[in-house]
Amino acid sequence: MTDGGNRESIDRRTFTKCAALLGSGGAAALTGYAEQDQQWSNTMELMHGWTGGDGAEAVAALEEAFQNEYPEMDTDFRAIGGTGNVNLDQAVAQRLRAGDPPSVFAGWPGPNLVQYEGVLGDIEQDVWNEAGLVEPHADEVVEACRFNDGFSAVPIGSHRMNDLFYNVSVLDEAGVDPESIDSFDAWLDALDAVASETDAVPYANSLATWVVLQFWAVNMLGSQGFDAYMNFIDGEGDEAAVRAAFENVQTVLSEYLNEDAAEIDFTEANQRIMSGDAAFIHQGNWVAGAYVNEDLTFGEDWGRIQFPGTEDMYGFHLDSFIYPGNQLDNPSPEESKAFLRFAGSETAHVAFNQYKGSIPTREVPTDEFSPYLTETIEDFNSVDQRPPTIAHGLAVTQDVQSDLEDALSDTFLDPYDVDAATRRFMEIV
Amino acid sequence: MRDELAKTVERLRDRLREVRESRGTGDRVTETDGGQEVGADEERAVGTDRRVVERSAFRRLLDHDAVQSAPFWLPPFLLMGFFVYAAIGWNFAISLTDYQGFGEPDYSVLDLDNYGAMLSDPAMWAATRNTFALLVGFTLVCLVVGLVLAILLDREVRFGRTLRTIYLLPMSLSFIVTAQFWMWMYNFNFGIVNQLLGVVGLGPYSWLGNPDLVLGSVVFALIWQFSGYTMVVYLAALRAIPDDQYEAARVDGASTLRMYWRVIVPQLKPAMVSASVVLVLFALKAFDFLYAIWGYRPRRGADILATKMVREAFNKQEWAYASAIAILLFALSLAVIAPYLYQQHRQGNL
Repeated sequence: MTDGGNRESIDRRTFTKCAALLGSGGAAALTGYAEQDQQWSNTMELMHGWTGGDGAEAVAALEEAFQNEYPEMDTDFRAIGGTGNVNLDQAVAQRLRAGDPPSVFAGWPGPNLVQYEGVLGDIEQDVWNEAGLVEPHADEVVEACRFNDGFSAVPIGSHRMNDLFYNVSVLDEAGVDPESIDSFDAWLDALDAVASETDAVPYANSLATWVVLQFWAVNMLGSQGFDAYMNFIDGEGDEAAVRAAFENVQTVLSEYLNEDAAEIDFTEANQRIMSGDAAFIHQGNWVAGAYVNEDLTFGEDWGRIQFPGTEDMYGFHLDSFIYPGNQLDNPSPEESKAFLRFAGSETAHVAFNQYKGSIPTREVPTDEFSPYLTETIEDFNSVDQRPPTIAHGLAVTQDVQSDLEDALSDTFLDPYDVDAATRRFMEIV
Repeated sequence: MRDELAKTVERLRDRLREVRESRGTGDRVTETDGGQEVGADEERAVGTDRRVVERSAFRRLLDHDAVQSAPFWLPPFLLMGFFVYAAIGWNFAISLTDYQGFGEPDYSVLDLDNYGAMLSDPAMWAATRNTFALLVGFTLVCLVVGLVLAILLDREVRFGRTLRTIYLLPMSLSFIVTAQFWMWMYNFNFGIVNQLLGVVGLGPYSWLGNPDLVLGSVVFALIWQFSGYTMVVYLAALRAIPDDQYEAARVDGASTLRMYWRVIVPQLKPAMVSASVVLVLFALKAFDFLYAIWGYRPRRGADILATKMVREAFNKQEWAYASAIAILLFALSLAVIAPYLYQQHRQGNL
């Protein structure tokens, strides 16, 4: 009996403990509930393509920040791998076609949204107005997220498209002062100097079609100017300008490019910048994330200049979250909109972009950002022009972009047939 | 209790008798019109039989072999009809529309515009040309390599079984795996192919980057993967040839080469035909291999109809145009397999 009594008392103590735990848990839940003033009943399913490295870190930071603000909501951040959103876009398209959309998916806004005609919902009132997102964002950003007289996307960050990155010690060895590269010809001189003075490849990159397309675009901007570029994407391109840009591209690719460019992807080309086997690379500034990951110092190990001729520009790329709806029912309208309001906030932009290596598209304090990104943010706010990128859905629709890449693949990727490529570009846009 | 049991047994006995009786006349009963009485006498039964023969179109249909065996062939026929042929038909219908994007296809306006667009699409011609080059090159070389391997193995070489397994092994790997293998082997800087050529002072070549080389590189990799299969098919046929024929050829004084060329190889024709049909179909499906290396847009020179079709569909959401390409691919497959089926039919194998 004594034993039994003991056991009972332990039971009672355990019971008390459990009750205490339950009580505090319940209290916490209640406070959470009170804060949000809303019952979340659906899981917020978000599809994105950031599976590795800086992207994965960034989206994890975003998820954590979101859960701090909305602890009661069930979320499912679903990563779909593959560069350039290819697999993500396909997975999203399958879900949309099957009539089973995710709550929110990551993607490029702008003309890229046109392909989703009929299946995107309007979030102008519930997200943009309610969270007051128009005011703090740059005009180009707001415009890019508009769709069919409303809004269907919320910006999360922007990469710069007109940086020319270089390896500092290779340029030192070649006796090149990067600050003196102020024109395309000056760049060619620098490339020649690298070729003759060092063992490094002057210009490293991949010959993937989208890489060549963005390189053509930055050459168009650099040598023909902002207006010529904008006219081209508006369908009123000047053939001479298109041709001149192609000639520059041909010069660089045929004379200074690494031999295996057709086989490698841009990350491998970027490795050679970091290892000192190559001097220059033109890429969106997502490559800078790799420099940071490798503990390379901005200004000492690597540097960047504006692509010659684009000093007053910010090559504008934009990542966003897109809201499916309209003909399809969003599986969690309230939860999706709450997330999108959050995604446009300062907290979200800071959490996400400091890891992603992109910059916030709204004004935020820059103390969380690296010196390089701080410089980029300052440029973004101060430049005269922000030409939209043609290789990432901001300048032309998805099918036009795909046709342009087909044209490059058919006519320009080795041998570099300037005439044929120019003709096809003029036909397509 | 006992009385009740006896009653039950009696009832059951009666019931059994009834059943037996009705069975005896049962067939005829079901044959007759509804007005006929159950348990009719012998004469009337004969009369109804005659009438059955007269109005027997339906009955004969029921007796027909095809109908009698329907439980066996009908379910698979319906499944195939629905999931294969109806799908092909639907695909054809979509190819006549302008379906693109995420909406619903509009079947009210049907025309052959997509097929017209195919004719004027230069990339389409390039893809068709590449498809044929891949098809023909791959099939022929596979047949030759497989034949040589099979003849060598048939001559009872040492480690013959082991070699046979080794040669056949690549076929068991998926395209995704072999594509990755060959990407490493063809690597411009470190790949074993360029390293070996470097020993004799050649290269390096950009096997997967140079538009002039790329199709050859792909075909070579596919041959590596599938010549083991042709080898096995030939080997089976070779084993079926009696030793007498080798000995007879020897006695007649034929050289080894002549013996194979005149006596043995001609007997491998059926094996060759069936192997080539399978190979051609594999070649049409080389899509996996290309997709594993390049994704939607293979290097120029390696774009085949299958990759073009998938790019149009899933990259550009041009469903109608992609369906038209699919129909073209289907027609090509039919063109390959139809002569084979016809030949089989003539030989009474089908």
